[in-house]
Amino acid sequence: MSAPLLELRRITKSYAGVHALRGVDFDLQPGEVHALLGENGAGKSTLIRVVTGAHQPDRGSIAIEGKRVTNLTPSAAQQLGVACIYQQPALFPDLTVAENIALRLEPSTGLRLVHWSARRERARNLLARIGASISPETEVRALSMPEQQLVEIACALGAGARIVIMDEPTASLTQKEQHLLFAVVRDLRASGVGVIYISHRLDEIFTLADRVTVLRDGESVGTSLVGDINEAGLIRMMVGREVTQIYPPAETEPGEVVLALKGIGSSACPVHDVTFDVRAGEVFGLAGLVGAGRTELARILFGLTPADRGEILLNGRPVILHSPQEAVAHGIAYVPEDRRRHGVVLEMPIAQNMSMAVHRRIFPGTWLRFGTERRHALDFIRDLAVKAYGPDAPGGSLSGGNQQKVSLARWLATKPKLLILDEPTQGVDVGAKSEIHKIVRRLAKQGLAVLLISSDLPEVLGMSDRIGIMRGGTIAAVLPGKADAQEVMALALGTAK
Amino acid sequence: MNRYFRELSVAGALGLLLALLAVVAPAFYQPQPLLSLATREAPTLVVACGMALVIICRQIDISVGSQFSVCSVGAGLLAAHGWPAGLVLLASVSIGALLGAFNGVLIAGLRLPSIVVTLATLVSLRQGLNLVRQGEFVNLPDGLQWFGLSQTDGQWTLVAFALGLLLVFAVALRYLSAGRFVYAVGTDTEAARLAGINPQRVTFAVFVLMGALTGLAAMMNIIQSPQVQPLSGNGLELKVIAAVVVGGVAISGGRGSVWGMFAGLLLLACVSPTLTHLHIEAYWEKAIQGAIILLAVVADGLRSRKENR
Amino acid sequence: MRTASTNSAWKSAVFSHEGILFLVLVAEWVFFYHFGTTVNRHDVVVGFGTIDRQFDILRHSCEIGLLALALTPIILTAGIDLSVGSLLGLCAILFGMLWHDAGLSIPVAAAGALVVGALGGGLNALLITWLRLPPLIVTLGTYSLFRGLAEAITRGAVTYTDFPASFLFLGQERWYGLPTQAWIFLAVAALVGLLVHRTTYGRSFRAIGFSPEGARYAGLPVGRRLALVYLIAGVVSALAALIYTSRLGQAKADAGTGYELFAITAVVLGGTSIFGGVGSVTGTLLGVAAIAVLKNGLACLPVVMRMNGAEELSGMLTGALLLLALTGSVLPKYLSNWRASHHSARPQTPT
Repeated sequence: MSAPLLELRRITKSYAGVHALRGVDFDLQPGEVHALLGENGAGKSTLIRVVTGAHQPDRGSIAIEGKRVTNLTPSAAQQLGVACIYQQPALFPDLTVAENIALRLEPSTGLRLVHWSARRERARNLLARIGASISPETEVRALSMPEQQLVEIACALGAGARIVIMDEPTASLTQKEQHLLFAVVRDLRASGVGVIYISHRLDEIFTLADRVTVLRDGESVGTSLVGDINEAGLIRMMVGREVTQIYPPAETEPGEVVLALKGIGSSACPVHDVTFDVRAGEVFGLAGLVGAGRTELARILFGLTPADRGEILLNGRPVILHSPQEAVAHGIAYVPEDRRRHGVVLEMPIAQNMSMAVHRRIFPGTWLRFGTERRHALDFIRDLAVKAYGPDAPGGSLSGGNQQKVSLARWLATKPKLLILDEPTQGVDVGAKSEIHKIVRRLAKQGLAVLLISSDLPEVLGMSDRIGIMRGGTIAAVLPGKADAQEVMALALGTAK
Repeated sequence: MNRYFRELSVAGALGLLLALLAVVAPAFYQPQPLLSLATREAPTLVVACGMALVIICRQIDISVGSQFSVCSVGAGLLAAHGWPAGLVLLASVSIGALLGAFNGVLIAGLRLPSIVVTLATLVSLRQGLNLVRQGEFVNLPDGLQWFGLSQTDGQWTLVAFALGLLLVFAVALRYLSAGRFVYAVGTDTEAARLAGINPQRVTFAVFVLMGALTGLAAMMNIIQSPQVQPLSGNGLELKVIAAVVVGGVAISGGRGSVWGMFAGLLLLACVSPTLTHLHIEAYWEKAIQGAIILLAVVADGLRSRKENR
Repeated sequence: MRTASTNSAWKSAVFSHEGILFLVLVAEWVFFYHFGTTVNRHDVVVGFGTIDRQFDILRHSCEIGLLALALTPIILTAGIDLSVGSLLGLCAILFGMLWHDAGLSIPVAAAGALVVGALGGGLNALLITWLRLPPLIVTLGTYSLFRGLAEAITRGAVTYTDFPASFLFLGQERWYGLPTQAWIFLAVAALVGLLVHRTTYGRSFRAIGFSPEGARYAGLPVGRRLALVYLIAGVVSALAALIYTSRLGQAKADAGTGYELFAITAVVLGGTSIFGGVGSVTGTLLGVAAIAVLKNGLACLPVVMRMNGAEELSGMLTGALLLLALTGSVLPKYLSNWRASHHSARPQTPT
């Protein structure tokens, strides 16, 4: 057998004392699709950063095509044929497709003439090779996310990449685009390229990959041929325990309808004709693929992108939500998906983060009361078991799970009627994850209506009293809580009858 | 068509103004005053070329006025010392490049915000010049004016030179890889880094070029008169930034062209003669310039609001 | 910021910044006390340490100090306002016009000037919040517009003078021991200090400065808060215009030219981060004092008096001071990054 394209041995990497990778082995053969699987925070992205040269491993060795490389830099990795297609492509929005491809492929010397026709021609050829119908003249800002990914793949092809890394490439693709992408991946494989394929979607791994490696808590749990393993086995490897046991059971009967949506839609985002209701004491799960419009719906309900069609009823009364302030005034709370950008102000102490949505209540007359604020924070730190050195710790100094608790505390303080949780356990460690689940269950028991958006299918299934499945910007179906995972996935994918 | 919409709309506004002048004040179209106007604006055009680059690179330089004054006085003193014109020109460009490099080190090297850095150099240079020169004029040797050409020939040469430089920049920004790097850095620094471009080096180079062009413009200005006026650069920064912004170069970087800037510059340059011909007092010029800047950014703002909908 | 709920590491950093600035101020003062001389109105040589001299410093720092106070909340929100100096000029002119040409009484004309200030600030606020335009370019436009209007109204020539003594009292006399305008300055400082450090408004400004999106997702009214800071800046600029007019006894179109630089310098020198979020009013006051003492002290150094360039030298040094303060504020971070990259591995060679 020829030397593997890529061979990682005993890779260890830690950030500020926390081990992201501990002694991971990984290899990639030519003409192979090797899937990399693991929960969020298992170390996949760190591994990728090591391969692309973005980060240096603390220990361990990297060999590319049999040759050991040290001090891999991004440009060196590129020259050795490593290309990475990120979920959020790093393209130049103001420049054309042709130029985006050219800037990646042409040498970065400044005094060189630009051949626009050659640039366009090359872009056209590369895009044709992956079957993408994108004009090289288009500005990238006008492209959809999947189209941008195709441009990235064209760049990788053009660079003659031998090792192509795809980080959740189908996350925002439509069915048709997915099939197109799969065809591209198979083409790459046939031409001897090695593909590292990262995905949360097990069905994709079974249709596409040759081998699969599972990471958990920074360690490699094992590598297996895809034919030798089934879904349940993979899930066991990922979570390391039986999945169904970790979710706290529902204890209460749902009460009055708190939120009712009737044909909600907005022209500013791809959400249309959404109709469902959420009751007090109920956890209503929203399942669906990334890009199905779940976060967009949450943004509508929080007044960030106001709805311009349909009706929103809160406790039976129609309301208009044009700004977050109005949403908050009506008792809606939104714990956003992107903690670091939206959920917590990283530079501010957690006490200030926790009081931010309740200024009016705990600071009557707008005067700050530091004692009240501190007590308020200490209460929540105790209640939610936030691990921090105190109320003065800046939000950015906390781990992901604890930041999430701070964000949650901020909104619980508003004593909301409806709590929207957007991917509340993404990038959160296992312990904090189950704590958050318990908190959510406790809140429901107290009579809160909870709208839970999650891409973690076992989580939605385990936590929800009812599940709404979104697809293409609208609700495809509403199922009872203990629904069948296959059925939910089929509805989300649009393959169900 | 769509890509050049912004440039064309400025050109359209310019056309309207010129048409208005043709009707209301045909006297505007006499060759000699027009040539004088063009000559006065030629140095501004050169500085504006640099400013277009700086703003495309998502930076700003408000110290160009002071740089201009320092270069003018420096070049004037050297000329008065009897340096030959060619060397004086070289010195003026070098002084400008050096001042630009100073800004560049702080902005590209230490990643300080360009607005504050250049605000500081604006005042330091201006006050430093005042301190050393106490507002004194520099008398230039006879041979320097119009580089020894006749006035009309000199004027034509200057205008042609400025237009040639504009053409060079237009071509370089489109057909030279370095020019494309400026756009790349201005539109997304991180993506530029991933594409193997060194954004700091590009930013630094842009500021050096800005300074060098300012030095060149200063030289183009002093040869027009027998004396160097030490405050000649005051307010220049506003004039060129206005031209660039009105010409559709996005203040958020990465978008726009020197052709748009050229149209913007002509539009603003025609304001003053228009006022004269319409018998409006010249004191309104600054206010109108400010209003035009605001109008241009408001139009851009409204347009991007519409696009985001 | 000196609040109980700030984290200690951060607090000590800011404390040291203000502490260092205070020491610089003291050193400056001692230096000028030692080397400075000046001649009083009886042609007697007196030192820098006289009480008259201190009042003079105070008097001269009021207008720039007011602008710096107005800019502190703006810079806390990671914004900037370049138009304050121009707005000062416009308000001064309109005040003079309302009083002299329109024949209004001084208080009514003053109220009119404050309204104009509010309108000017409101224009900035409108464009920045409604159209989400960058403050830099908006206020660069109004910087030109306001000054241009002042010049157009006066045709570059008219100067309003002969204000009644009752008005000049504001800028030239003393009240309860201090120059009258100092009381206004201190009152505004106290108000802005309370606003920034003791109210939820100040808290919002910081949140917006650190993360405008984060503030929006926290349900804070980002647009209204931003509008407020620019509106305040407009009104305070008008107040500074009244004091300026009274101190000089004349209103002219070039009033306050270049003041925006001194004000921004004072704020940045005072430790407020130009990137938003971090900063204090105490720091701004120390920054204003450091600049004022420098400017005034230079004027009584014999060597500078011989050069006849105190104004220019102080302007030059202020610019240099601003660059030094900025460099000093980023250098530690830069050095530690650099050290870290050298420590962990070979530096990543740029290509």
